[in-house]
Amino acid sequence: MASTTTASLDPLSRSSRPEGSELDDLYTIPIRSSWFSWGEIHETERVALREFFDLSSISRTPKIYKEYRDFIINKYREDPLRRLTFTEVRKSLVGDVSLLHKVFLFLEKWGLINFGAASPGAVVGEEEVKRKVDFEEAVPNGIRVVAVPNSGRPLSAPATSMSNNSARSQECSAIPPLASFSDVFRDAMKHRASACRSCSGMCNSGCYESTKEEGFIICANCFKDENFGESRSKDEFKSSDSQGVSVSSGSEWTEAETLLLLESVLSHRDDWELVAQNVETKSKLDCILKLIELPFGDSMVDSFYRTGKSKGRDGEVKKGEQLQAPEDESTETVKSDDQCVQTEITNNMQNGYSGDQEPPLKRKRVDSLQSCDSSLMKQAALISAMAGPDIAAAAAEAAVSAICNETSCPRELFDYKELFMGGAACALAIDIKPEISAVGDSSKNNELQAEDQDLPACKPIIPLQMRAATATTLGAAAAHAKLLADQEEREIEHLVATIIGAQMEKMQFKMKDVEDLEVIMEKEYEEIEQMKENITSERVDVLERAINGGISRWKDHPSLKY
Amino acid sequence: MKLLPSSSVRAPVKFKIPTKDNLVPIRLDIEIDGQRFKDAFTWNPADPDSEVVVFAKRTVKDLKLPPAFITQIAQTIQSQLTDFRSYEGQDMYAGEKIVPIKLDLRVNHTLIKDQFLWDMNNFESDPEEFARTFCRDMDIQDPEVGPAVAFAIREQLYEIAIQSVTSARESRLSKKGRRGFDYSPAIKSGGISLDLVKYFGHKSTVIRKRKDWDVFEPIVDILSSEEVGALEAREERSAR
Repeated sequence: MASTTTASLDPLSRSSRPEGSELDDLYTIPIRSSWFSWGEIHETERVALREFFDLSSISRTPKIYKEYRDFIINKYREDPLRRLTFTEVRKSLVGDVSLLHKVFLFLEKWGLINFGAASPGAVVGEEEVKRKVDFEEAVPNGIRVVAVPNSGRPLSAPATSMSNNSARSQECSAIPPLASFSDVFRDAMKHRASACRSCSGMCNSGCYESTKEEGFIICANCFKDENFGESRSKDEFKSSDSQGVSVSSGSEWTEAETLLLLESVLSHRDDWELVAQNVETKSKLDCILKLIELPFGDSMVDSFYRTGKSKGRDGEVKKGEQLQAPEDESTETVKSDDQCVQTEITNNMQNGYSGDQEPPLKRKRVDSLQSCDSSLMKQAALISAMAGPDIAAAAAEAAVSAICNETSCPRELFDYKELFMGGAACALAIDIKPEISAVGDSSKNNELQAEDQDLPACKPIIPLQMRAATATTLGAAAAHAKLLADQEEREIEHLVATIIGAQMEKMQFKMKDVEDLEVIMEKEYEEIEQMKENITSERVDVLERAINGGISRWKDHPSLKY
Repeated sequence: MKLLPSSSVRAPVKFKIPTKDNLVPIRLDIEIDGQRFKDAFTWNPADPDSEVVVFAKRTVKDLKLPPAFITQIAQTIQSQLTDFRSYEGQDMYAGEKIVPIKLDLRVNHTLIKDQFLWDMNNFESDPEEFARTFCRDMDIQDPEVGPAVAFAIREQLYEIAIQSVTSARESRLSKKGRRGFDYSPAIKSGGISLDLVKYFGHKSTVIRKRKDWDVFEPIVDILSSEEVGALEAREERSAR
C-alpha cells in the first residue's frame, strides 16, 4: 500500500485522513526519524540492530529485519490512535522474542510506531508511585522568631525604604520576595503580644494583668466580656499596656484613618496631641509611627524638625564650648549638656529616619567627624541615636539584661526615672530614656552626687553602666548595619531579576533564529526530494530504453545493477 | 545476494543459564505434617551458601511455618544449587537454537497460557523484562504474575540447557571430534528447536500465517474464587 510519511515536530498535528481512501494516507513521525524509508534500511538501523547485519546467523538477516520492521509499522498504522503493544506483534512473527522486543523498542524510540498514541496508563502509574514529599513551608511552630535574643522587645521594621522605591518595587514584585527583615520581625511583633489566657487569642488591643497571679493576662475583649476564667473577679485585673509602645502599632491602619491622619498632620503640623485626637482610634505614638512609615511621611516630619535642627546646631556649639570646661563643672552645665545631647539625639533620630532613603553612610560619616573630638560616651550616644530609638532601646535592654545576668545586680540600678532631664515633652523621649540615662550617668559622677541618693550603691557600679552603654552602642550599630545589608539585598534582587530578563530575551531571539533556520532547511529538503524523484524517473527512463533496446543479460549489465 | 550462515557453528561455551543474569530457578514443594509449602523463585548462584540457611530461616519466620521447615527448605535449595553447579564446569552447546517456550501457569486468580520462541544463544535475553512487558501489555494487576512468568521461562531454559550439555557430551563421545560441532547435532538433540532454514531461509517469510496467530497469542484469564478452588483441588489430586 502506498503511503507517504510527513515528518513533523508535533505529534498532534496530523492531517486528516479521508475515510476509505487508501492512497495519500499521511502519518506523522518525528523529524529526527525522517531518514526512514520503506524501501531501504538506513544506517541508523544497521547500527542499532547490529545483530541482523553481521551475518552471524541464518535467522538474522537484513531481509528478515525488514520484514519485522515493515510488519510492525504496518500493524501500528492500521490504527494509529491505539497504542500497539509488543505482545500483539510477537504473536505474528517468528523469531526470538527478545530480539523482536529489541526491534519493537527501537521503532518505538524513533517514533515510527506509537508516536501519536496515548501513553499507557500503566507506565504513568508506575511513575506516579513516588512517595509524597512533605514540604516544611514555614518556620516550625516550636520556634519563635524574635528580634534580639532575651530582649523580647519587638522591632518595628522600617518599611520606608521598601515602599519608597516605588518604581523598583514594581519590578521586584515579579520575583517572589525573599524573606526580609520586615517579614521576619513582623511575626515577632505579633508574637510578642502575649496570648490571652482565657480566650487564647492575641492580646492586640490591650491586656489586663491579674494582680493576684503573676503573668495571668487576658485580652481587652475578654475583660469586657467578663470572661475572667475560674474564680477571678473584675477587680483583680488592672490594665497594662502591652509591653513597649510599638506593639500597639501592629494594629491595622485603614484607608480612612490614614486619610484623617494626613489631613490632620497637614493642618496641625507638629502638634501630635491634636493629630491623635483627630484620628480617634490611634494613639499619638501610633500616628507618628504610621506617618513615618508612609512614603512621603518622613519628609513631613523632617520638615517639622528642621527648625529643631538649627536648635540642635546651637546646642552643639554650646557643647563644643563646654568641652574645654573642666569635667567637674556644676550640675547645670551638665544638665544642659545632656539636654543638648538629648536634642541632638532627637534630631538625629528624625533625620535618621529620613536618612534611610539616602545612603545613611554619608550621614554617619558627617556625624562621626563632628564627634571625633567629643568624649567616647557622646560618640556612643550619637551612634546609637542614629540607629533609631527602638533599635537603640532594644540594644540597651539587651545590654542591660546581659550585664545583669553576668553580675547579678538588680535591674533597678539601671532604672533612672528620676534622672530623666525634663526637656521637651517629646513623646519619643520615653524610648530613648534608658539610653540617655545610661549615657548621661556614665559620663558624669557629679550628677549622681547631686541627686538624691536613691541608689547609694551606684558609684561602684559605674563600670557596669559603662559596659552597658558600650554594649548598647554596639548593638545599635549592628542593628543598623543589618538594615543596610537588607537594602543591599533588595538591590541585588532587583539586579538579578533584570539580568534574568535580559537572558530570557536573548534566548528567545536565538530560538527564533533557530526556527527560521529550520524552515529554510525544510524547504531545501523538499527541493532535494524533488530532485531525487527526478533522478529516479530519469533512471526508470534509461532502464526502459535499455530494455526496449534489447540488451542481453541485462542482469549483469553494469548500468542496471543496483 | 546470497547469505551464507557462516558462523552458525559455535564453539561450546561454559554452562550457564543463557540469560543476562545467571540466576538459577529453584522450586520448593515441601510437605510436613500436612502443611504444604510451595514456592518458586530465582537464586543467584554467586551468593555464598551461607545465605541459604539465612533465607530459609527468614522464610519460615515470615510465613510463620513450623521450624521443621527450615532444614527442609535449606536442604532442597542446597541440593538444587549443587545440581546446577555440577553442570557448570561442563561445556554446553550454544549454537543457533531457537526453542519454543510454553507458559501454562496459574498465579492466584490469573491463568496464563502462552507460547513463543526464545533464542537459546542470546545471552543478553532477560526473562524478567519479558515478563514485565507481558504484564504491562496484558494489563495484569496482580504483581505476583510477573515473577512467576519469568520463573517459568527460566525453568524451561534451564532444562533445555541441561539437555544441551548432555547432548554435547554425547556427541563429543560419539563423533570423536571428527567433524567437530556443527549444525546437525542441534537438530538432533531433543528436536525441540526450530528448523532455522525452514523458517528463516531465503524463500520463506518470518511473518506467521494468520491462522497460527491464535496459537501464539497469550491467553490471560482471571478466574473466580470457586474456579481457583476447583483447580487447586484437581492439582492436589493429580500430585498425589
